[in-house]
Amino acid sequence: MVLGFTLSEEGVAILHDALACMFKFSDDVCLEAKKDKLILTTLNISKSAYICFTFAASRFFSRYHFEGNSQYRDRFFCQLYVRSLLSVFRARQCGGESTGRESVIERCEVAIEDGPGKKSRLIARVTCRNGITASHSLAFEPKTPTHAKFDKTEATNHWAISSRTLRQLMDHFGPGIELLDINTDDDTRVVNFTCFTEKVQRRGANSNEAVLKKPLHTNIAVEMDEFDDVQVEDKLHIIISVKDFRAILQHAQMISGDLTACYSSPGRPMKLSYNSDGVLCEFILMTVGEEDAISQKHKTGRANSAVANAGRQELDSGARRASSVVNESQARNTQAKAPAKVQTKTQAQPQAQGSPRNSAAQQKTPPRPRQPGFDIRPQPNPPASARSTRSDSLFVGQVDDDQQWEPLDEEEEEEAQNDRLEWNSNNEPKPSTLRISSYANPTIQTNASEPDQPMSGLEPTQRLSQVRRFGLFSS
Amino acid sequence: MRFKTDLRNIRTFSKLVAALNSLEKIAWVRLDDDTVRFTVIPDTGSQVWASLSVDLIFDSYHIQSAEPNNTINLELPLGPLQRALKSAAGSNQANLRLTKRDGIPMLSMTIHAMTKDGAADARERGAPYGGGGHGYGANPDDPFGEDIFQQESLELIMKREREKVITQDIPVRVLHPDTVETIMQPKVREPDVHIQLPPLLQLKAISDRFTKLAMTTSSSSGRGGASQNPKLELSANMFGSLRLRLAAESLDITSVWDGLENPELDPSQLTIPIDEHPSTRFKQAGPDTWATVRVDGKDWSRVLSVGRLEGRVIACFADDHALILYVYVPHHDDSSAEDVVTVSSITVLFN
Repeated sequence: MVLGFTLSEEGVAILHDALACMFKFSDDVCLEAKKDKLILTTLNISKSAYICFTFAASRFFSRYHFEGNSQYRDRFFCQLYVRSLLSVFRARQCGGESTGRESVIERCEVAIEDGPGKKSRLIARVTCRNGITASHSLAFEPKTPTHAKFDKTEATNHWAISSRTLRQLMDHFGPGIELLDINTDDDTRVVNFTCFTEKVQRRGANSNEAVLKKPLHTNIAVEMDEFDDVQVEDKLHIIISVKDFRAILQHAQMISGDLTACYSSPGRPMKLSYNSDGVLCEFILMTVGEEDAISQKHKTGRANSAVANAGRQELDSGARRASSVVNESQARNTQAKAPAKVQTKTQAQPQAQGSPRNSAAQQKTPPRPRQPGFDIRPQPNPPASARSTRSDSLFVGQVDDDQQWEPLDEEEEEEAQNDRLEWNSNNEPKPSTLRISSYANPTIQTNASEPDQPMSGLEPTQRLSQVRRFGLFSS
Repeated sequence: MRFKTDLRNIRTFSKLVAALNSLEKIAWVRLDDDTVRFTVIPDTGSQVWASLSVDLIFDSYHIQSAEPNNTINLELPLGPLQRALKSAAGSNQANLRLTKRDGIPMLSMTIHAMTKDGAADARERGAPYGGGGHGYGANPDDPFGEDIFQQESLELIMKREREKVITQDIPVRVLHPDTVETIMQPKVREPDVHIQLPPLLQLKAISDRFTKLAMTTSSSSGRGGASQNPKLELSANMFGSLRLRLAAESLDITSVWDGLENPELDPSQLTIPIDEHPSTRFKQAGPDTWATVRVDGKDWSRVLSVGRLEGRVIACFADDHALILYVYVPHHDDSSAEDVVTVSSITVLFN
């Protein structure tokens, strides 16, 4: 055994939350174990966001023992598939249909075995309150973790604020926005959070109509007094991806406490961090470059350039350069072992979620069906159970439930609501009439735009190249 | 051209916008000295002409334009407006003004709000757990690393809650009077029957069920029927009865409401003597004389979402021709006007 630790019920939940957060950025996670801490890191596919969770050995775990072996003397590292870890640590997973406390995880013992003559496995033994013990055996790939570099001395701008306050503020931002501009104004003593998009509107639309397609432009001014430790250059605009920021806040509000941001200038990385008892969460995000920021301020025709350029900005990976030699030798080692490993795994776990190696390939093919991104609004539809109850009873109580007023074709409406407003670009010149009604039946439109959508199976909905254009975003 | 106002009755405003938004994504808004009118005209389906007295949703209202009555015509997307109003709900204060940003006209909503930063909702989560979580953070004195795992005191999190200023800019188009001149509220002949509808939630639940049934039966009898939305038959008489009927190939179901009110007409509002009014004839003809219209089930469902405004709804039936719903929106938090029902009316037209 190289590494063994035990998680309490709460520890399992926290680890699950952390993995769920990572899953919004990447499919893989690097696990790194040392004597005093366990580190989970990941880098998103466009290398614009790096996530690092550090769990203190003595405070987070009920038991933690790093043994090491000849190969891994001071630290052990490997890469795993996030999805498979998520399913291991999912609460209530051994409960069957009962949802009471019986089925709740009581503790989880994890052991990692590796070394000559041994199978490389992460073995998780989950004990539930109802007495059921589930054992999972996951294969992993030895891979040196990549750590993004962040120069603390360079990041002279910083502030801290309650993560829950920030999370609630995000509720005010509407759908269809991509970028978040954080800027300060010393005169009014406020920090502004501005959301906007530079997505090119659908071509061919009458310019007047295109105006109405623009999403809500939202600015939130928060007094500097509400921040801790604010020190920011006046009028500095720093721009990051809204999606990343939301994913981070979604997790941060669960951990609670203050979120600290450190950054230097546009085009340089920004670090967001927060911690709770025994867990330190750090995120390094690439910000949109200055020239781009300027072009965004003064709207130019190449509105998209900012986003595209932002994608090309990658985080410096300190590890890669420094340890490239190590990497290589490591890789050679791996190469020898890996093929056999993959095979045995598929035999042992026929329905295993695929090895990390495969998953890397997977990323290049269809993007995995994303978990429903963090929804800042309340669910547009009631949960399925509520809906079925409603349709089963003729008479509904006179509760003030706004959902009841939703029109019948809810699925259709939901689509329309979740999507950014897109008007049917009707080019027919009808100057005498109002263009109020150029919005055709949304279903017809959808069908028309995707005529050769296969009927079954999970097919990619978008070309990866299309997504790549917005390189900053991991989806 | 100037328009600036504080918002009041945000909940009502928000519900109105939600109801309109279920029918069409863009609305024409006509503002003048006394009224605010929201109009939606979908390609197919029902139109809404909603006239509200300014003080129902606005306060400290200032409007100024070169047009008579200081009229301003705007075209605006309802989704963003609804979204902005949602953000304003629960705020301390919110106002709305017409402005320009980067040369583009905007309806800018400024909201002063607080965040609810209570300690109570710390670590909300779906999974049932909590308590008994020993081991995690059991030893706060343990030195770990470089002092990065500081313990936060609660006061630190709770302190200094300040008001936030949220600005929501809704893109709008300012319409030239000539553009809207030609858009007229459809003229419909005097109705044969007018009746107060039963609670709309009930009516909607049953209508939706009928529509679903119709869709199920039509899809089982062939795919051709799916393209056409099911039609519901609505009838009313001048003796307090409303009938909702679904007649399909394989089934014929009817729901009847009795004891509804047929409001008295105000002769002063009529262009013809009351004796010559069609409703009088329908009344004389007895309870078996029904005025009937056929409505599209899905469209009807969307229309019925005006029920969320909790107003009194009068349906006017022009037999085999049109159905008009008048929704009277009550002034909610106006304590000075005790239970006064306003002249604010929303007209929904069916063809």
